[in-house]
Amino acid sequence: MSRTRFFLSNEFGLVLLIAVFAAIFGLAATGFLSPFNLFTLGRNAAVNIMIGLSMMSVIVTGGLNLAIGAMGVSAAMFAGWLIEGVGVPWPLALAGGLACGAGLGFINGATVVRSGLHSFIITLATMSIFFGVMIFLTRAESYRDLPAVFSDFGRMKFAGYVSPLLLVTLATALVLAWLYRRTVTGREMLAAGAQPGAAELSGIRVGRMVILCHMLSGVLAAMAALMLVARNGAAIPSMAGQLGQDWLLLAFLGPVLGGTLLQGGKVSVLGTVLGAFLVTMLQSGLLMLQIGAFWVQTFLGLMLLIAVLLDKARRAYLARRNLA
Amino acid sequence: MSRISQLSRTDWFGPLLATLLAILVVRGFSETFLSPYNIQILLLAIAVNALIAFSQMVIIAIGQMNLSVGAIGGLAAITFAGAMEVWGLPAPLAVMLALGVGAACGAMNGALIRITGISAFVITLATLSIFKGINLGLTEAQPFYGIPEGVKAFGNATILGIVPLIFVPTLLVSIALWYMLRRLPVGRFILAVGSNEHAAELSGISVTATVVIVHVLSGVIAAIAGILLVARLEIGQPSIGDDWLILSFAAPVIGGAVLAGGHVSVSATLLGVVIVAVITQALVLFSIDPFLVQVVLGAMILAAVGLNRLRAHQPVSGAG
Repeated sequence: MSRTRFFLSNEFGLVLLIAVFAAIFGLAATGFLSPFNLFTLGRNAAVNIMIGLSMMSVIVTGGLNLAIGAMGVSAAMFAGWLIEGVGVPWPLALAGGLACGAGLGFINGATVVRSGLHSFIITLATMSIFFGVMIFLTRAESYRDLPAVFSDFGRMKFAGYVSPLLLVTLATALVLAWLYRRTVTGREMLAAGAQPGAAELSGIRVGRMVILCHMLSGVLAAMAALMLVARNGAAIPSMAGQLGQDWLLLAFLGPVLGGTLLQGGKVSVLGTVLGAFLVTMLQSGLLMLQIGAFWVQTFLGLMLLIAVLLDKARRAYLARRNLA
Repeated sequence: MSRISQLSRTDWFGPLLATLLAILVVRGFSETFLSPYNIQILLLAIAVNALIAFSQMVIIAIGQMNLSVGAIGGLAAITFAGAMEVWGLPAPLAVMLALGVGAACGAMNGALIRITGISAFVITLATLSIFKGINLGLTEAQPFYGIPEGVKAFGNATILGIVPLIFVPTLLVSIALWYMLRRLPVGRFILAVGSNEHAAELSGISVTATVVIVHVLSGVIAAIAGILLVARLEIGQPSIGDDWLILSFAAPVIGGAVLAGGHVSVSATLLGVVIVAVITQALVLFSIDPFLVQVVLGAMILAAVGLNRLRAHQPVSGAG
C-alpha cells in the first residue's frame, strides 16, 4: 500500500476526525475527559458499534435491513421472558435471545431469497410484523426483575473507566474481521454480494450466503439489545423507539462513514467501528457543550450527508490518480 | 371473457375486488360497520393516509424512495401551528408557509440526489434526521396548543353529516395527480424517467428537472397531510409523521406500484388506502388487539408484493 493511499484511506480520515473532535471537546467541555464520562462514552459506543456491525453484515450482500431495531428488541424481550416467565437460568436465556435474533434473521433472509424481492421492502414489512407480534405478546410491559448479573455487568468498570460491554463489542469486531478476511464463508459472503451471478457460477450458493448474512445481522442486533438491557437493568419494549426506528440512522451511520459500499461486496469492519465511535463521541460532546439535546439529531443527519459527499470526492480523486 | 381478462390487467381491478370483498366481509360480521358515524371515521383516516401514500407514490414513480416523508409532514405541521400561535399569522398565510416549507424540503432532497449522484435512500435518511432534528430543536418536543377556532372547525366539519371537510383537499389532490400522470407532459416525463432514466435523458427529457419537481411535489403533498392532521387533532404535535414510513409504502405497494419505477396508479393507490383503513377499522370493531394492526399491515405488504410478482410473471397478451 503506497503512502498516499494510506493517508487517503477512510480509516485514517476517521482516526484524524476522532482525534480532532476529542481535542475540541476536551478543551471546550469541562468533564468530557473525566473517567465517568469516558465510561459512559465507551458503554454507549459499545451498543452503537454493535448496531452498525449488524447493518454492515447485511450491506455486504448489497441489501439492507430496516428491521434491526425490531429484531434486537424482540430478541431481548424473548430473553427477558425466558428468565421471568419460564425461569430459565440467565446464561441459557442469553443464548435463547441470540437464537431468537438468528431465527428472525433467517425469516428475513429466506423471504428475500425465495421471493427475489429487494430486502428493503421485505424488511420494511417484517419490521412491522416482528415489532407488532412482540408488543402483542408482551402487552408492552417491561421485564424489570432480571438477575443482578445484568445490571452489575452494565455498571462494571475495568481500570476505572473501561466498560466490559466495550470489550465484548471489540472482541465481536475482531471475530468479524477474521471472518471476512480469513474464512471461506466470509469470502463467499463478499463474493455473493459483489457479483451474485459470477459467484453462483463459481459454485457459491448465493441464496444460502444471503440467508447467513441476515442471520448474522439478527444475532448482532440481539447482542446490541441485550447490552442495552444490561445498561438499563431491564428489558423495555420501547428501548429502540416505535418499530425500532431509532436505531435506523445509527445503523447506517457507522458502515457508511466507515466506507462500506452500499452496493455490497466490500466491507470495512475497522471503518464501521471507528465510524460508530465517532458518532457516539459527537453525540456525547454536543450534549456536554449544551448545544441542546434536541439539535443533536440534525447534526447527525448533516454528518451523514457530509460524510457521503467527502467519500465521493475522495473516490473521485483516487480514480483520477489511478490509485484505486 | 376477453373483457374480464382485459379488466384483470388494469391496476385498479384487483384492489377494487379486494376492497369490495373486505367491505362485504366486515359488513357481514358487524352491523355497525356501514353506519354514518363509522363511514365518517373511515373517511377521516382515508383523507390523511391517502395523502401520505401519494407523497411516497410520486417518488416510487421515478424508481426512488423517500424516507423523509414523515419528517417533512411533521415539520410542515409544526410550521403551520407555530406560525399561527407564535407569530399570530392568519391561517391561510400559515398554510402557504407550511406548503413552502414542504416544497423547500422536497427541493433539497431532489437537488441533493441529482447533484451528488448518491442514492435516494442515503440522502433521504440523512434529511429525515435533519428535518426531524429541526422540528425537535424548534419545539423542544412540546406541542403548539394555540390553534385558531376556524382551523379546528374546518378539521371537524362535515358535508351532509357524513363526508369530512378535510376529505375535499385529498380528493382535489387525487384528481390533480391523476390528471398530471395521465395527461400532462410532466406526468409522462416522470413515468419515463422511472422506467428508464437513460432512455428518457436521450429523448431530451431533463432528468434533473423531473427528479426535483417530483421531490417538491412529494414534499408539498406531505405538508398538506401534516396541515390536515393539525386541523383534525386541534394541536400541533411534533410527533406528527413519526409513524408514516410503513403507511406510505403500504398503500402504493398494495395498489400494485412497481418499486423499480415507471408504473404507478392513483386509483389503485387510493384503493390500497381504503383496504388498509377498512381492515384497521375491522380490527377495532371486532375488538381485536390494536397492537396487531402493525402485524396485519406488514403481512399485507408482503402479500401484495408477492401477488404483484405473480402477476408480472403471467404472459402479457392483449391490451395492457
